[in-house]
Amino acid sequence: MAGEKDITKVQELVYEIKVEQVMCRDVIVVSPHNLMSELRELLRDKRISGVPVVEDGRLVGLVSIEDFITCLSEGKMKRRVEECMSRNVKCLYGNEALVSAVEQFDRLGYGRFPVVDRESGRLVGVVTKGDIVRGLLKRMEVDYHAEEIHRYRASHIFEDIIADKTTLIFQYRVVGKDFERAGETSSGLRKTLRRMGIPPTIVRRVAIATYEAEMNIVVFTEGGEITARVTPVEIRVEAVDRGPGIPDIEKAMQPGYSTAPDWVRDLGFGAGMGLNNIQKCADTMHLESTVGEGTRLEIGLHLNGREKHGTAHHR
Amino acid sequence: MVLRTIVEKLGLQVKSGGSGLDREVTGAYASDLLSDVLANAKKGDLLISLQIHPNVVAVASLKELAGVVVVGGRQPEEETLRKAEEEEIPLLTSALPAFPLAGKLYKLIAEC
Amino acid sequence: MTLQDVVRILDCQVVASEANLNSTVASGCGCDLMSDVLTFAKPGSLLLTGLCNIQAIRTAEMSDIKMLCFVRAKQPTQKMISLARKTGITVLTTSLPLFEACGRLYANGLTGIYGR
Repeated sequence: MAGEKDITKVQELVYEIKVEQVMCRDVIVVSPHNLMSELRELLRDKRISGVPVVEDGRLVGLVSIEDFITCLSEGKMKRRVEECMSRNVKCLYGNEALVSAVEQFDRLGYGRFPVVDRESGRLVGVVTKGDIVRGLLKRMEVDYHAEEIHRYRASHIFEDIIADKTTLIFQYRVVGKDFERAGETSSGLRKTLRRMGIPPTIVRRVAIATYEAEMNIVVFTEGGEITARVTPVEIRVEAVDRGPGIPDIEKAMQPGYSTAPDWVRDLGFGAGMGLNNIQKCADTMHLESTVGEGTRLEIGLHLNGREKHGTAHHR
Repeated sequence: MVLRTIVEKLGLQVKSGGSGLDREVTGAYASDLLSDVLANAKKGDLLISLQIHPNVVAVASLKELAGVVVVGGRQPEEETLRKAEEEEIPLLTSALPAFPLAGKLYKLIAEC
Repeated sequence: MTLQDVVRILDCQVVASEANLNSTVASGCGCDLMSDVLTFAKPGSLLLTGLCNIQAIRTAEMSDIKMLCFVRAKQPTQKMISLARKTGITVLTTSLPLFEACGRLYANGLTGIYGR
């Protein structure tokens, strides 16, 4: 478990970002004078678990799906919303820090909170756990895809934040033979890690090792992927390409050994494959390569300083 | 200034091509890119470089350079040593990186 | 030595991030091979190089090198200049060759990365 001094940028951001910066402003609301029966389609079509009740812009209550079911089972669908809604609605203020929202979600177990303006009491939005996670990731300028969020389960990341630990995954595609764009991946990863509050000396080692790996993919292959996984105890970077593979890893590990073409050497690169430097920067290094198939390099850096070891072998 | 004096004053290791140590050094050129050396180094220059590939000797010979100092503690390849002996190009090494070696040589040349 | 001193000693043009000219230069590093810069250079160094392409800026960025001087009157492209600005790297150019540039700075008291 991370101690106080290990507070990451994610945790810093939950103090810095306000609820109104991540909430959804486009909210479906009902009037207290609507009939309960009118809510039926709304709840079904929009698949929402509760609707804020608003009169003259001010939040006056909330109809949850439970309230609705109660009315339905008691045959009170002709009643007005104001007779059935919950009046003591727990809501958040727009200018509250995310950290208090996180606490409320954790304590009350709700899926969403209405957000009101502290002075006027007007409803300004609704915030869900997903909104908070998205807001945090966006702030870290992480290139996320809806698909990725889904894959790594937004709620999972969310729980990690509360549980004082984060596992974030960043994935980048590296284009082969594109010398101009080479380094964009390493640069993006470097910025993200700095934002997360990882110590600069470690970020520098990750950036240099990743850059060397990225240059190898650009120079020697048709392209590949670089994936970084960040946990509170370590950073793992995996670089995978689709060939041509390294025929003799032992030789490739020698400083200065390279099969780089002249155009690469003239650009100041390829005076070696950089594998030594990667090993020097990382705490652990594993290299597998099959000629004709591709190469997979995985490096790890401890965030709390431990000994180095590594292997390189053929599959 | 003769190359031998520079070797002594800067504590360089003579790796190969020692027969050319009495050559006059008229200037110096620092570069790690052989295409750049080929284009811009002048006759009589002492080359300061990280290059250990045999081609560095070929370029030095072609441009009639006074010799090559391989910096940063790098050791020239076998083939490079052989070629330097053959072409009578003094091949020297220094543990210093290019910056301070260039600095010391610059001062040395300026003093005389 | 500050970057302002470097500009004076090498008669440089400042092409990017001129706001940082008061920064102190910790050491000098003269190198054209980026693989070597990535292996040996230290943060806080001034990188002097004849290699003028976008990867020189990238290499500086990765190595936490905040100052770079292109020698032999090499002119960086607009793309390189904007990348340097974005990453907060000061870029200078001098018409001097690498040897003279290193020599003059060394003669004025700037040491190499190992303090010699």
